Amino acid sequence: MEKGQKPGYAEKNFSLWLVAAALTHALVIFLAIYLQILDANRIVKPKIVTVSIVSLPGSGGSYEVSEKGGKEAAPAPSSEAPPHPAESKNSVTVKAAIPEVAAVTPKKETKPVKVKEKVPEPAPVPPKKVAVKPLPEKVKPKAVEKPADIAKALERLKQNVDKKAASPPQPSAGSLNNALSRLQQKVKSEGNPASTGTGSEKGSGSGGRSGAGKGYGGGGPTASYQAEIASIIMQNWEFSKLLLKNSYGMEVYVRINILANGTINKIVFDKKAPSEYLNNSVKKALEKSSPLPLIPKEEGKGDIWIGFVFTPEGIEK
Amino acid sequence: MVDSKLGIFGLLSDAGPVVLFVLSILLSFSIVSWAIMAYKFTYVRKSLSESRAFLDYFFEIYNVDKAFVESEKYRKGSLPRVFRSGYVEYHALGDKVDIRQLKARIARAVKREANAESKRLSSLVPFLATVGNTAPFIGLFGTVWGIMTSFHNIGKAQSASLAAVAPGISEALIATAAGLAAAIPAVMAYNYFTHQISIIERDLEEFSPEFVAAFINEP
Repeated sequence: MEKGQKPGYAEKNFSLWLVAAALTHALVIFLAIYLQILDANRIVKPKIVTVSIVSLPGSGGSYEVSEKGGKEAAPAPSSEAPPHPAESKNSVTVKAAIPEVAAVTPKKETKPVKVKEKVPEPAPVPPKKVAVKPLPEKVKPKAVEKPADIAKALERLKQNVDKKAASPPQPSAGSLNNALSRLQQKVKSEGNPASTGTGSEKGSGSGGRSGAGKGYGGGGPTASYQAEIASIIMQNWEFSKLLLKNSYGMEVYVRINILANGTINKIVFDKKAPSEYLNNSVKKALEKSSPLPLIPKEEGKGDIWIGFVFTPEGIEK
Repeated sequence: MVDSKLGIFGLLSDAGPVVLFVLSILLSFSIVSWAIMAYKFTYVRKSLSESRAFLDYFFEIYNVDKAFVESEKYRKGSLPRVFRSGYVEYHALGDKVDIRQLKARIARAVKREANAESKRLSSLVPFLATVGNTAPFIGLFGTVWGIMTSFHNIGKAQSASLAAVAPGISEALIATAAGLAAAIPAVMAYNYFTHQISIIERDLEEFSPEFVAAFINEP
């Protein structure tokens, strides 16, 4: 009798455990999935880091950014802005200002786009102002939440751009041509195209005031070629002067060896600036510019060396 | 809504039919083995504790009638069961047979019950060994199959990027993980139960002659 009852009891008992185990497994699987969903749905807000100082590699480059004083910080760049047109007379500096927009305002996505849309209309000079103005917006991270402020800032920007566009009597031709022509004028006035570089022996030899310049007067083929490649390099140069704390001693003497097919063979830094940012930007601009246009036939078939002096304002002559 | 690419759910939803089949086998293995573990744990533990308590009482009084009455309290203990079977045999024979026959019949009854108890104790335990041995291989099979399919798909896609290779392998590896998850507790439980059962069996072997002697020497 006892033996007859036991297996039934044991089976029932085991069945209960079986159900319990199945339920436990279901619960474990449910929990595993639920916890994962919970974990995935948890919104991890990125920690807001207040950056008081943005330091760049190198001793010379640092630019102070105050988060609180978004508006207080605004005057500083704008007060710095006016000297630009004064101290840099050639349009090369204007070109240098364009990359500032990209370099200074990488975080903001809405701002730079709008600014870029506004820039192409006026003369190449106004973008300098444009490049300066967005800084307060970039510095103040909460600017996005205040559309009224944005609208105001845009209005101000527009007004400034209009003023700038109206006041300078400079022609509103393409910035590239402008830069080229100004460089060429400069070359013409100085009469020594190779004076900026340590190389370009041929340029200095063949190009005199009476030289056989093709429409440049005293430039010679090297001068025009140098002006051409200078404008190309400037186009590829992404550098913001505003990111340098001071511009003292910020000169980069660099010479490049250009092969007959226009490829930059060597880049030699004769003198580097204290700021690695400037040095690197120059190097990148040169690398980006390769290959350059073919060397003029007047220069012979071999390679040539051309030197440049880069300053925060642009390529110096 | 649950994201289809989310964790375990994503892996399962993207897995192939063979991998899913393997996973379902492993899940059922795991459920059964955990049920066995729970059932056997309570059974063996109770058997051990009741056997100890009965033995203490038996050697204390050394009276078969009183011991039989006491054994009714320990219905799940192995030793009390064996004792009860011997006592039932002893009373069934009464004075019909001589003492030599009586001893042999009681010894046979006790041995039979000890064997039955041993079988009862070790029932279902071999399944744990089976799970412990085969689950990793079943999981491995699922993984191999999954990787095979995954490589086949990679070949079709003509891309060997990490983005193309990794998801398939990840899906496949869940089968091995499931196999190990089923096997590890099963192996541990198997070792534990075999040890506990061996203790009880040893007690049965040792004390069965004691019970027989107690019936024969009954005053």
